[in-house]
Amino acid sequence: MMLLDDAQHFVRDPDWTWYILFYFFFAGLSGGSYAIACLLRLFGKSEDEPAARLATYVAFVALLPCPVLLTLDLGQPLRFWHMLVNTSPGAEGPIFKYWSPMSVGAWALVIFGGFVTASFFDAWTRDRDRRFPRLPRGFLGGLWSLLGLVFGLFIAGYTGVLLSVSNQPVWSDTWTLGGLFLASGLSGSAALLGWLVRFRKPAQATAGVFSMSERVFQLLELVLIVAFVVTLIPTGALSRTFGLPWTALWLVALVGLARGLTTRTTARVSAAGDGTVAVKAVHAAATASLIVLIGILALRAAIIFSAQ
Amino acid sequence: MAEITPGKAYGFFTDTSVCIGCKACEVACKSWNMLDGNPPVFGDGYDNTGSLDAQNWRHVQFLDNVADQAAGPGQGKAWLMMSDVCKHCTHASCLEVCPTGAIIRTEFDTVFIQPDVCNGCRDCISACPYGVIEMDKQKGVAQKCTLCYDRLQGGLEPACAKACPTQSIQFGPVIELRERAQKRLEVLHGQGVAEAQLYGHDEKVYGGLNAFFLLMDEPEKYNLPNEKNAVLPSRNNARGYLTLLATAVMAVLGGLIAIRRRREKTDDAAG
Amino acid sequence: MTNHWRDIRHADLMLINGANPAEAHPVGFQWMMRAKIERGGKMIHTDPRFTRTSAVSDKHLRIRTGTDVAYFGGLINYVLQNNLEHKEYVRFATNASFVIKESYNFTDGMFNGFDEAKKVYDTTAWAYEIGPDGFAVQDIDHPRSVLNLMRAHYSRYTPEMVERITGIQRADFLEVAKLVGEMGRPDKVMTIIYAVGLTHHTTGVQLIRSGALLQLLLGNMGRPGGGMNAERGHANIQGNTDHAISWDILPGYLRIPAPGQKNIDDYIARSAAKKLHANSLNFFGANYRKFLVSLLKSWYGDAATAANDFAFAHLPKPASDASWLSIFDAALRGKMEGLMLSGMTATSIGPDSNQVLQALSNLKWLCVMDAYSTTSSEFWREPSIDPSKVQTEVILLPATHWIEKDGSFTNSGRWAQWKEAVLPPEGEARHDHWILAEVFDRVRALYKEQGGKYPEPVLQLVMPYKDVRRPELDEIAKEINGKDLITGQRLTGFALLKDDGTTTAGDWIYTGHYPESGNLTKRRDGIQDPAKNDPTGMGYYPNWAWSWPANRRVLYNRASADSLGRPWDPKRVGIQWDAVTGRWTGDVPDYPATADPAKPDSPLPFIMTGEGTGRLFSNGVADGPFPEHYEPIESPIDNPLHPKVSATPVAFKYDERAGRPNRFGTSADYPYVATSYRLTEHEHYVTQHVDQLVALQPEAFVEVPAELAKEKGIATGDRVRVSSKRGKLEVRAVVTARLGPLTIDGKKVYQIGIPIHWGFVGINTSQHWLANALTPFVGDASSRTPEFKAFLVNIEKM
Ligand SMILES: Nc1nc2c(c(=O)[nH]1)N[C@H]1C(S)=C(S)[C@@H](COP(=O)(O)OP(=O)(O)OC[C@H]3O[C@@H](n4cnc5c(=O)[nH]c(N)nc54)[C@H](O)[C@@H]3O)O[C@H]1N2
Ligand SMILES: Nc1nc2c(c(=O)[nH]1)N[C@H]1C(S)=C(S)[C@@H](COP(=O)(O)OP(=O)(O)OC[C@H]3O[C@@H](n4cnc5c(=O)[nH]c(N)nc54)[C@H](O)[C@@H]3O)O[C@H]1N2
Ligand code: SF4
Ligand code: SF4
Ligand code: SF4
Ligand code: SF4
Ligand code: SF4
Ligand SMILES: [Mo]
Repeated sequence: MMLLDDAQHFVRDPDWTWYILFYFFFAGLSGGSYAIACLLRLFGKSEDEPAARLATYVAFVALLPCPVLLTLDLGQPLRFWHMLVNTSPGAEGPIFKYWSPMSVGAWALVIFGGFVTASFFDAWTRDRDRRFPRLPRGFLGGLWSLLGLVFGLFIAGYTGVLLSVSNQPVWSDTWTLGGLFLASGLSGSAALLGWLVRFRKPAQATAGVFSMSERVFQLLELVLIVAFVVTLIPTGALSRTFGLPWTALWLVALVGLARGLTTRTTARVSAAGDGTVAVKAVHAAATASLIVLIGILALRAAIIFSAQ
Repeated sequence: MAEITPGKAYGFFTDTSVCIGCKACEVACKSWNMLDGNPPVFGDGYDNTGSLDAQNWRHVQFLDNVADQAAGPGQGKAWLMMSDVCKHCTHASCLEVCPTGAIIRTEFDTVFIQPDVCNGCRDCISACPYGVIEMDKQKGVAQKCTLCYDRLQGGLEPACAKACPTQSIQFGPVIELRERAQKRLEVLHGQGVAEAQLYGHDEKVYGGLNAFFLLMDEPEKYNLPNEKNAVLPSRNNARGYLTLLATAVMAVLGGLIAIRRRREKTDDAAG
Repeated sequence: MTNHWRDIRHADLMLINGANPAEAHPVGFQWMMRAKIERGGKMIHTDPRFTRTSAVSDKHLRIRTGTDVAYFGGLINYVLQNNLEHKEYVRFATNASFVIKESYNFTDGMFNGFDEAKKVYDTTAWAYEIGPDGFAVQDIDHPRSVLNLMRAHYSRYTPEMVERITGIQRADFLEVAKLVGEMGRPDKVMTIIYAVGLTHHTTGVQLIRSGALLQLLLGNMGRPGGGMNAERGHANIQGNTDHAISWDILPGYLRIPAPGQKNIDDYIARSAAKKLHANSLNFFGANYRKFLVSLLKSWYGDAATAANDFAFAHLPKPASDASWLSIFDAALRGKMEGLMLSGMTATSIGPDSNQVLQALSNLKWLCVMDAYSTTSSEFWREPSIDPSKVQTEVILLPATHWIEKDGSFTNSGRWAQWKEAVLPPEGEARHDHWILAEVFDRVRALYKEQGGKYPEPVLQLVMPYKDVRRPELDEIAKEINGKDLITGQRLTGFALLKDDGTTTAGDWIYTGHYPESGNLTKRRDGIQDPAKNDPTGMGYYPNWAWSWPANRRVLYNRASADSLGRPWDPKRVGIQWDAVTGRWTGDVPDYPATADPAKPDSPLPFIMTGEGTGRLFSNGVADGPFPEHYEPIESPIDNPLHPKVSATPVAFKYDERAGRPNRFGTSADYPYVATSYRLTEHEHYVTQHVDQLVALQPEAFVEVPAELAKEKGIATGDRVRVSSKRGKLEVRAVVTARLGPLTIDGKKVYQIGIPIHWGFVGINTSQHWLANALTPFVGDASSRTPEFKAFLVNIEKM
């Protein structure tokens, strides 16, 4: 299963463009941030809670455009609900096709939306010191976070699987896209969070974690890009994805990666330990995360557009 | 034409060895289905339609292999013409991925997109290995050959088959068509036309195509994936999710490490 | 067609020459495909281009345009040299044994009887030796027997000569010749299918005749699966022809009277065939008078009496011909005031369209009757014309399209089939026959009021319709059928016509299509029940519509059986003698139904000719009794057979005669041969109004041989300028190997293909190029059909 055979198809491109690109981008950030939040809650210290809430906010805000983008992308936006409900005469009722990532994704997005929204209000009320309503803590809270982690990871990555479960050249020629999108979604989230802690003092205790994890995720992403390339070699689709004009996008994506992997700015952010941050470092962190974010957008753009 | 009975599998046997590229099928399809067609553009003089799309549910391909010689055999193999259409695959990639259930198998065992169910997500377009479907921008739904579902329900054969003057497009119960195709193949082979081959008549391609072909060259020449390449989108589900899972596990582990270590190793820790 | 569409499936071999049925007759083409698929019939397509027909035929021969006489001549020679002719048939059913007068001569490309001053042949100079009995002398071994003269004539058409002229390589020619040679066997049959690829030449009639000669030699004329089959053009062009669309005939192929013919006797003496053999029935010649008198009775009713020679005087006796070319030549010479065009767009269709535009500009008025605006009704919009200089008053009368009319269509197989109107007329559109009837009625009123020169033909014309200004086609059909004036009953067949003025027939060949029992063209007993509707199993379907003459499906079918009435091929019976019932059975016999063939005086098989046989030698055409190869008027080479008489000496050169400057080019300036033709996707010019078809074929183009394109740096899609001595096109190029080079008389010759369908009217109005800007204003000596299919051009990349 390492290398796929060259599967020659004569598909027409589905005309998935900007809406989908930005959906993939925001879903990556939302899923990634929420996963990070859950991870912090599950395995972090109590001092990580502010960062977890920050991540929850990010997840929520990034999620907001998702249904809008998805709906606008439809040829019949008012029928967005047909993703969940079958209106075929004789087969009315909910529709779920586990073998169709778009169907799975539609349901996952609904559930994930529930998680994120609930967590968001939970974080919000806690931040405001309001009492109700709140999510449980303890074992149930753990379970909640565990499930949230799973859905977060899924939302960040399934979009890659969705592309693969097709007969498009490039997309269907590789098995790496799910992982790749997840890794890049996570690294983008970590980068973004690493930068945002600047504006939220209590969360700065976790800054080191963000910077560390960002590098881990990026390493993972790099490995998957290599795997992506390797899987495409036998199919001959390599030139298609990496040829002009896509080369430029890949360069951007790689610069993003390189920036994240080689700089230590985030380390410096946390180096002060006591919460005072060097101004220079903060600026550097901001550009670094911006570059990383642009990088993950470029990566998705290259993969979506070059195949079509 | 014998009676058309629900419950039986219907389809087309398209015999490209007798196609004369007259495009009556294209026009008949447009007329019956009230398709506007695309704005006129010059293609290569003979094929100005280009491809199957939302406005063209039949498309006649022209493949010119004519040798520059003062005499030569035609036999359907020097200038190949083939009327392309949705294959109504037994294992249909489009139907497999469609999240809304808009794509169904009808009582005639054909693959039909219900225009009132489809929401225009276009997943089917990326799935169909034959480039059959396109979204109609005006209507906002995916469109392709319906195998004249409405006509079949009314007991009429499809418009394109009806219009085809040379019986290159033959409509009927798939079982009968397969027999006919086999016979025609034998005749052609008997006449020394070794190039002739059937495509999609058996399970090797997507479990069998209800609209199958007699070709005069390799399938790839006609933009048809060969047996080896005839694979379904769902083949990528397991490996795609597995990679996703593996990555997720690694990412969680990575996250745990980050949470434990909390900071990067750094040379200028003094900062 | 001598045969009919469905019959083609009986053929073992199909020679398709000068026709592209897959594109121009796709529906009829199914019968050729059936012959191929169901009986393994071979299909040979001989065409300058590899077309969609070639694509499914067994062999394509690339031929230089205008040279099919050389090809057929080569086949005739091959058959005769190898003794492959169907000898029994040739003796029995052709004039092979007739002896030709000693004065007959053919040297250096000239037949005897040429009038240098008038540049025409005296065709009566090509005649039989007449014996003391008043009939033609017969002796097949005589050195001047038709067969021996023919042998000598075609001995020059060796495979080498065929190759030099046509470009068909010897080996390919011989391969086909071998197949053709087998078709002289009684158990084999070949059909020849042609259309305007043969007619659109200055040698058009001879091109067709050369094929007919081959068919007679091989014994294929009159047989199911055989014959000489013209695929006709417009849906009802056969009906048009039958009803005298040509200037030289009256309805039913009666000749138009000539000047000086004072009475019917004079006319019959000049027009009807004479009996040349004791056993010749000479049906047409013998009954000519009946047909003419019945026609005159139909037209002039009570005003046509025995006393006034049935108003023969009313018929026009034109001194000059009124062919298409002659009409526009007259306009060019300023000899024409006004013109009515109905269902025909002169600007697009005529040769040398720039000259035609000039002709239209010379008119005082032009009236176009059409369902659409056409390049004629808008001729002043042609981009090169300055409208302010055009004084012609143009009137467009909206006519209904045939889709909005009922009436019959007669197809290539001579079947008249009634159809219903599909759509109601739009707006104020009127039927053509209503427009014409009203114009006539008003003119008649003027004559009544004001008198005029010779008013009788107008005043006495019978308009036997309920509403003279709105005749129904049903009424006209009945009128054409004709009736017995004594009983008042419509006739059941032309055998009942009389020359005493007691019968009428608007077109004798249609007599019987609408008897009292009803309109037979509406019959539809077809494949719903083949066992019942096609009793012979030969596909005649006698109760499907009606075919002329006499509902006969295959012409000359007497020749499908031997002298004793036994079919040449028992598997493919045309008609056969049934001794038990004493009748001919099968198709409607082209023969007296009860004539016992065993009797020594039984009529010869071809009952319509004076000879009683098919004619290998004929004086019925203007340019030679045997078809001879002549080069097109514009040709890249001199005729290898007789370089001094390269093109036909009798083609009428209008410009030269009218003193206009020469408009013919030479290969020095215009090195490439061009031909023009149709594409499946369009019907001439009218489909420029149909968006679905415009989408299929949106833009004018020419087809350029790949090798030449390479030389000139032309790629598909590039714009090129194609020019002839007469005009130019600036259109896209389609580069293809389907049109390759030929070696002609040692010279490399390229052919360029020019589809005809575009103009400056229609959906895509930017497509203003008229293919006919390139074609020469010259026609065939007999039919005056223009030479659309062979001319010289130059091409350059723009
Ligand atoms: N789609 C379509 N069908 C039509 C029409 C139409 O406009 N469009 N028009 C109808 C009419 S009115 C007519 S008359 C018929 C005409 O029907 P066709 O005669 O079949 O039509 P063309 O395409 O004009 O010419 C036929 C072929 O003759 C070839 N040719 C040219 N010169 C020669 C020659 O010297 N020798 C030989 N052997 N071949 C030659 C040309 O390359 C061309 O392929 O079609 C009728 N059907
Ligand atoms: N270079 C070149 N020139 C050619 C040819 C070629 O091969 N090469 N082919 C020649 C041949 S064979 C032909 S037949 C001509 C074809 O030339 P045309 O016959 O002139 O062409 P069409 O466009 O078929 O029809 C003419 C008009 O008839 C109108 N019409 C249709 N039905 C009716 C009706 O019922 N009543 C009236 N009043 N009008 C009606 C249509 O709207 C259309 O405008 O072109 C000739 N010209
Ligand atoms: S050919 Fe394409 S559109 Fe048609 S059934 Fe198969 S997968 Fe679906
Ligand atoms: S576009 Fe319509 S038919 Fe295609 S997958 Fe989406 S909902 Fe199904
Ligand atoms: S079956 Fe009907 S819908 Fe499909 S191509 Fe033929 S005419 Fe069009
Ligand atoms: S109608 Fe028949 S012959 Fe014509 S292009 Fe279509 S399939 Fe070919
Ligand atoms: S256009 Fe009409 S007449 Fe011509 S081939 Fe088609 S069906 Fe026959
Ligand atoms: Mo014609």
